[in-house]
Amino acid sequence: MNATERLLPADFAALAPFVEFWAADTAAARAHCRDISDEAGRAAFYNAAVDLVPQALAWLDARPLNGWDESEQRLMKLVLSFAHVALAVELHREEEPQHARNRPYMRITRAPADCER
Amino acid sequence: MSAQHQYQMSETEEALALGTGPLPAGPYYRDDYFALECEAIFKRTWLNIGHGCELPEPGSFIVRQFDFANASILITRDNDGNLGAFHNVCTHRGTQLTQEACGKRASFTCPYHGWTFNSNGDLRGAPDLERFYVEKKELGLNRVSVAVCAGLIFVNLDPSPRQSLREYLGVLGEQLETQPVASATTYSEYVYEIDGNWKITYDNFQENYHLRFIHARSGGGGAVGPENQFGYPEKYGFHGEHRTQKIWTNPAPQLSATQKLAFGKLVPALMQRGMMNAAHARDYYALFPNFFLIGTPTQHFTHYVMPISARKSRGVIRIYWVGDDMNASERFGREFSMAMARDVHAEDRAVIEAGQRGLNSGALKHIHLQSQEVLLRHLMHHVDAKVKAYQAELAAGGAQQ
Ligand code: FES
Ligand SMILES: [Fe+2]
Repeated sequence: MNATERLLPADFAALAPFVEFWAADTAAARAHCRDISDEAGRAAFYNAAVDLVPQALAWLDARPLNGWDESEQRLMKLVLSFAHVALAVELHREEEPQHARNRPYMRITRAPADCER
Repeated sequence: MSAQHQYQMSETEEALALGTGPLPAGPYYRDDYFALECEAIFKRTWLNIGHGCELPEPGSFIVRQFDFANASILITRDNDGNLGAFHNVCTHRGTQLTQEACGKRASFTCPYHGWTFNSNGDLRGAPDLERFYVEKKELGLNRVSVAVCAGLIFVNLDPSPRQSLREYLGVLGEQLETQPVASATTYSEYVYEIDGNWKITYDNFQENYHLRFIHARSGGGGAVGPENQFGYPEKYGFHGEHRTQKIWTNPAPQLSATQKLAFGKLVPALMQRGMMNAAHARDYYALFPNFFLIGTPTQHFTHYVMPISARKSRGVIRIYWVGDDMNASERFGREFSMAMARDVHAEDRAVIEAGQRGLNSGALKHIHLQSQEVLLRHLMHHVDAKVKAYQAELAAGGAQQ
């Protein structure tokens, strides 16, 4: 097993290049990843993940939340970051940089995913 | 009647009774008017500050700032499970008892000279108490009023409120009790500070006139549609000082791929919890003076706007959830629901500040409101009535500072 395979469950190895930037621990941190990302980075992550996210959710749903190993926890964080980046790519599109200026004023202070990590 | 005028419904008697003339602009930025609002309204009205799920067991506590009154309020759950609310002020020489925002402890010890208070506010003990010239039982923490409706905690800084919370909420209290928030166990939260008067801030969220301009992309195609281009609500309701609207939703919303995925993932979990048949799913409640709740189960949010000064406020938005995340899909749906609402509210915050900057100049003496901004008029009507009543009390020598 090489390092890349251990990073994420094997079916999702294609997402490994995105772990370092996008697999952030808290909702606030994931929102921040979106804020500081550039258009190319968002597009690369979105395009790689969009078809895998439903499968990733099915994979994770098949296992109890508190039984995930580290690679599965990482996969969850990536999928949660996808929730943020999809808003940028699908809705705001070329206006995303402008929209990003207003968002940090809305400070995320709690999310269920943070409490039960 | 053309399709886009379908929602120019004839105005009700209640709406017309509020008048149609322009409103004076001063109350939206002036310091003197704000000072009156603090006394006439905020220091003696029930204000939502949180939810019972934040105090899960005896000894749990939270602390909330009431900047408009320079007050820090400690809310505790005592050994009998009852909530108490007190000024976070030691009764010896006034030191703030705790600097923590929340936690769990059976008693609170003042850092200055070691006076210790129980979670029901009683003074438990004080070093060298015999040397004081006062009875221990007179030295409990200064109480304010606290009550719960639908799990939501309301504080009234007046220790002897003129109305109980239930009297205050009337029929809306019963409706709130039937909503998911009443059984919420957790929540997503984001907060903001804003250079905006509390009414200017709040008013933004009680009119839909701005939706198509400010939320053209983030709104997600659900709030406006070809037959209702402004997304005006189906109905307004007036309930004393409070108001409601029945929101309109586009029957054929244009949702993005991930909006469909995320809400599609949230709904099965909500159905399993019996939360999808909510009778009030399209009801948007505006409780006087500063609170909103929307019944929608997939984005069941509350929002309050706390005044800080005449031109500064703090907003707290929470999306309440029942139960811990059931699985990855529910966790994803909840994260997306919050991120989407936050995108919308970030746009609101920016445009509200621009509005406030304009008003601060005094360039506008009056504000003109259209019929679909009637909820703004209703708020101002009740604010001004309270301010005038307070001034009359002062003139009669009855009000206390
Ligand atoms: S001020 Fe609290 S014990 Fe003295
Ligand atoms: Fe808005």
